[in-house]
Amino acid sequence: MRRRARILAIVSALALVAAACAGDSTTTTAGGTPGTTAATDTTVAPSTTAAPSTTAEGSGDPIVVGGTLSLTGAFAATGAIHKLAGDMFVERLNAAGGLLGREVQWNLLDDESDTANVAPLYEQLISQDQVDLIMGPYATPNILAAMPVAERYGYTLPQHTAVLAPLMTYACQFPGWSIGPEPNSFIPNQIADALDSLDGAVSTVALLTNESGSTAFVSYGIADDPDDPSTLNILPERGYEIVADIPYPPGYEDWGSTAAQVRDANADLVLVNGLGVEANSLIDAMQQLDYAPPMMFALFPAPGPLLGLGDAAQGTLSVSIFEPNEPILEQMDPEVGEIVDEFAERAAAEEIPYTVFETQAAASWNAWEILAQGVEGAGSTDGQGICDSLHSTGADLTFSGAVTFDTAVNNFWETTEGLKQIQGSEWVMVWPEDIAAGTLAGPTG
Amino acid sequence: MRHKGWMALVGIAVALVALPAIRHATEFPMFYLIFLSGILFWTAQSTSWNILSGYSGYFSFGQGAFFGVGVYTMAVLFGRQGMSWWAAALVAGIASMLLGLAIGTIAFRLRSLRGEIFALLTLAIPFILASVARLSKTIDGGQGIVIPVPVAPSFLSQFQEFVFVVSGVVALFALAVAYWMQHTRYGWALFTIRDDEDVAEGLGVPTFFHKMIAIGVTGLIAGVSGAVFALQLGFVSVEGTFNLDVPLFVIVMSVLGGRGHWAGPMVGAIYVYTLQNRLASGGFEGWSLIVLGVILVLVMLLAPQGLMAGFRRRPWLSASVFVVIFLGLWLLGVTTDPVTSLALALGVTAVIAFMPGGRRRLSQGESDTGPAQEHHAPVGDEATAERAGTGRPLLVAQDVVKTFGGVRALRGVSMAVHEGELVGLVGPNGSGKTTLVNLISGAFRPTTGTISLDGEGIVGSTPHRIAHLGIARTYQIPRPFTSLTVRDNVAMAIMFGREPLSLDVSRRAAVEYLDLVGIGGRADALPGEINLHQRQLLEMARAIATRPSLLLLDEALAGLNPVEIDNAVDVVRRIRRSGVSIVLVEHLLRVVNQLATRIVVLDHGLELAEGEPAVVMSDPAVVKAYLGRRADAAGE
Amino acid sequence: MIELQAAVSGALNGSLFALMALGLSLAWGFLKVINLAHFAMILLSGYLTFELATSIGLGPIATIVITAPLMFLVGALIQLGYERFDVSELNSLLISYGLLIITVQVVTNIWTADFLRLPPEINPFSAQSVGVGSLRFPVPTLLAAGFAVVLVVTAALVLERTYAGRALQAFGQDREIASAFGIDHRLLGVLLAGAVGASAAIAGMLFPIGGTLTPDLPFEWIGLVFAIVILGGIGNVTGTLYAGLLVGAISGLVAVVWTPSTSPFVVFSLVVLALVFRPKGLFPQKGG
Repeated sequence: MRRRARILAIVSALALVAAACAGDSTTTTAGGTPGTTAATDTTVAPSTTAAPSTTAEGSGDPIVVGGTLSLTGAFAATGAIHKLAGDMFVERLNAAGGLLGREVQWNLLDDESDTANVAPLYEQLISQDQVDLIMGPYATPNILAAMPVAERYGYTLPQHTAVLAPLMTYACQFPGWSIGPEPNSFIPNQIADALDSLDGAVSTVALLTNESGSTAFVSYGIADDPDDPSTLNILPERGYEIVADIPYPPGYEDWGSTAAQVRDANADLVLVNGLGVEANSLIDAMQQLDYAPPMMFALFPAPGPLLGLGDAAQGTLSVSIFEPNEPILEQMDPEVGEIVDEFAERAAAEEIPYTVFETQAAASWNAWEILAQGVEGAGSTDGQGICDSLHSTGADLTFSGAVTFDTAVNNFWETTEGLKQIQGSEWVMVWPEDIAAGTLAGPTG
Repeated sequence: MRHKGWMALVGIAVALVALPAIRHATEFPMFYLIFLSGILFWTAQSTSWNILSGYSGYFSFGQGAFFGVGVYTMAVLFGRQGMSWWAAALVAGIASMLLGLAIGTIAFRLRSLRGEIFALLTLAIPFILASVARLSKTIDGGQGIVIPVPVAPSFLSQFQEFVFVVSGVVALFALAVAYWMQHTRYGWALFTIRDDEDVAEGLGVPTFFHKMIAIGVTGLIAGVSGAVFALQLGFVSVEGTFNLDVPLFVIVMSVLGGRGHWAGPMVGAIYVYTLQNRLASGGFEGWSLIVLGVILVLVMLLAPQGLMAGFRRRPWLSASVFVVIFLGLWLLGVTTDPVTSLALALGVTAVIAFMPGGRRRLSQGESDTGPAQEHHAPVGDEATAERAGTGRPLLVAQDVVKTFGGVRALRGVSMAVHEGELVGLVGPNGSGKTTLVNLISGAFRPTTGTISLDGEGIVGSTPHRIAHLGIARTYQIPRPFTSLTVRDNVAMAIMFGREPLSLDVSRRAAVEYLDLVGIGGRADALPGEINLHQRQLLEMARAIATRPSLLLLDEALAGLNPVEIDNAVDVVRRIRRSGVSIVLVEHLLRVVNQLATRIVVLDHGLELAEGEPAVVMSDPAVVKAYLGRRADAAGE
Repeated sequence: MIELQAAVSGALNGSLFALMALGLSLAWGFLKVINLAHFAMILLSGYLTFELATSIGLGPIATIVITAPLMFLVGALIQLGYERFDVSELNSLLISYGLLIITVQVVTNIWTADFLRLPPEINPFSAQSVGVGSLRFPVPTLLAAGFAVVLVVTAALVLERTYAGRALQAFGQDREIASAFGIDHRLLGVLLAGAVGASAAIAGMLFPIGGTLTPDLPFEWIGLVFAIVILGGIGNVTGTLYAGLLVGAISGLVAVVWTPSTSPFVVFSLVVLALVFRPKGLFPQKGG
């Protein structure tokens, strides 16, 4: 028996070795067609360290964009959205002639949602695979990990979702999703503006916060500065009393107890600066206590699951830079409608549960557009050139309009973010009124 | 092996220094230094884990605690407060070491905290630290800490080279410490603890002290390594630091590589890190974890001792296969880059580890110290030999009572052993004989009563101290250190005797005791390879190697055939002649009659009779006590 | 008052973890294996429950008719593997970790990494609760508590009153001697592992009923489940239940009186204290 087992082991080992060989010679590119690695030089002969090609005219070589995404692990749910959005963008770009007349390939690696993997993978992409350009990963800690690598090699880093402006100090980092230079001030003030329009229907707020990264930042400002603008400071200043302040750790499970506390606080608005399905869990737990708050807000929820709650989640608010509501689509380029439709089709085909092209995907699209426009503007793939071009001319984004980049505010452009609300079976932009597709519904009950 | 080990360490040190210079000259991609830095980090972490857990058997699931303390000390002191990075790294190491010592103080003091309980204790610690870090705004508060890039010395112009060199220094330190410990008493104490802690303690190994050293060293290395890693990360968060990755992976790497050898964890780290890296970068979308899991399962099933053990059975074959394949693939351009060549070479070489056979499985360290030379270790206490038979009281037990829960094993026993005597301690099963032995040797404390040796009270002393005072014991079922050779078993007793001696000297001196009991010919065998009688003789040899004045033999002849019994009786006589007083716990009455100068009979925890063998054994009360039970009173 | 409600909600939540811990504790105590694959079976069962409920319309609770026998087989097979290869305790940890990450990847590949929830039409329980006075007992965790009690009582009875159970206890205390008495430890072990697998299926079924599924869940469970195993005493079935309820209640209470982030601090400090002062668990069995 052990004999056979050993033979089996040897065979498996060899099979794995063979698979490793096969795996090494392909990279995934947009649409999944295998291409060759950028480094065609197979000996260890010295190769120049990262000096991206500076040819200005189409040389026929593809332009390779390297990057990682969380395709497995804790962040993978949203990683899949960014992957699809990126794939679609690159395909359209190539269909329209590519960048600088050259085909674009996306060399995407899986960082497994592990921050420690990110920097080494970007190092590999840049210094070993010698990609021409890079695209940022998903989730703030991962983006922060990639940033110093980009900075060391002088690569421009477009990134889609890190909104913690004060931490994004690299001059050539460009955000696809901006909540302005002070999200910790902007968001609470915007919420307060929206509440003001309800003419006193809301006066008390229960604040729940996921104690990590951007959510904690929006709730409490910079960690060691209690006077930094924050939801905790601003809402009372604007006349809204915070009757419960409940920070919880990531991965929190015990929503039943917290729901009891929230019910007891009896606030008009339950404000959950949280992520993923935390708001869902809270709603479930509150229902089990026979309690439904008049109004709810969730900062960065997974959009699909909340819709799945039906009546219980009606009227829930969140933030967004884009929702494909009819009135909004009508005012935009027809191309936008096509993108939205295609995304829905392909998401369904890939069995992604939530097939709507909304704020996350839009942020991704923005990031890719920034990259593409920077390259065209610079006329090359030189990192510094792209950076300079973007600083001088800004970018014209399909989903967020014309934006400019100022290093004084870490390139965080004037935000077009607004509030969205669950109405019926979709998320509808409701604030500010000038970009709204629907009316803000007030508290119920 | 000594020399090979040193050569390996020196080789690594040279490579560390040379690589950045080579990189400047040839300009190979910086990525390879980053890759190697990753391996160096994991080498340091898993080697440090192995020093405590692999060597001593106290499995820790809490490596994340030391790592986290290291990371956060750097983050807060350097990242937030602006202390210099190397000072912060040192503070990190010290803080982590103190944490380890604190855990050790709690965990190692309590006899009940062995094995899995210790493991669970260490599992809980990182969770506590994580919540503290999250709750305290001074430490983290939940938002994470940004760590700026430190200013590196000018000759390491690039940050990645700086990280590489510093990581290398830490890893080298870890390897050197592990190597040194393996070849000195610090490591050997841990090995005996791993094999049988109670026995080790009874032979004179100060187990608490050595475990504290091990956990302190683990903390120190892991803390510094974590601090340096934080520099590399640039941004730390509570959930990113205090998760299960580090604790689980150091175990995976150490066990995969091999826990008994200083280089095992490094081998494991190289394998696992290379594999993960290739899986992540090879576009194995949706397969990486599956492949990793399958490999983990296969290796653990087929090479449960770890890869290093397999390589050591065929060292030359392993090394040459690896080098040939690695260089071949790389230089011939079969693969696109050296890391893939590395992965493939490692994979093929691993197969060699699975193959059975090869050099005889080596015990913990090779016994290559050559034939015995001068014997200087005296047997027994020379002073005792002179005073043999002076009759002065050596051991005095007074009114000793021992209760376990509701059971009163000893109900007030008083007895004395005089110098030069061989006292037979007899009685039916359950009379309390072994309990009395346990109390005398210090394994348990009497509930009430006193015991003194040479007039000095020994109640409450640790077993190893009692061993140094001159009491040794054997166990009814022999308990040799299973991973050490016969010679090394005895050498341990000498090494940790009253005067500490080095391993080499101890090994040479061990031969004399082996010869005394008659198993000198099996010196290089493992305990698993010798028969019961030989194991019992090994017990005795090991016990007398501590040069006791009093030897407690607990049913040392159980399970032997008549020829073996006669031989054992001879051995006991020889031991006695060398000046050791003996207490012999025995069921075989003919043996007791042959050997004992005096007999003490226990029954139901009390002394029933005492005196010369012939007199005592015909005492009607004694006969009734024996026949009244189904004991083997029909002893020859 | 909210403290009482919080303690009740927390205790019920804790019973679900106790259910998970039960299997782990039994395997550790009697089979001497630390089986992380237990979490893999729970995860897989959860996803299978989701799949069966949504694709063939089987009621979520009814899915255990399929998943429990399936996991019984899986558990038994894994144990058979451990026996065949004579796996040591530490190695079982690593092998089962390998199995766990394989399972997580397979689940990700089949069901994607996204959050999965049973729609309310299929799962009416998620919003329901039973009221007693002013206290509310949420149905999903009430179900968990119910199953936990049933399983614990059954396990306790089997261990105390049946030959097989006592044989297992003997086996758990001293393997060699028990085998010397002719107890077929292999068969017993495999049966026990199968039963543990079935319990994993039940625990797994409760997750989609109570909330959302994502492949990464096992890594969030491990800490608390081990804490409950420790506090309950390894191999102590009733102790595990009490420990789960206690840990849950304390967790909930601390979350409300202080903050939710303080709960892990309190719970794991309790674990450390318990290990130091009561290494056999907080609820020692007599003569155990």
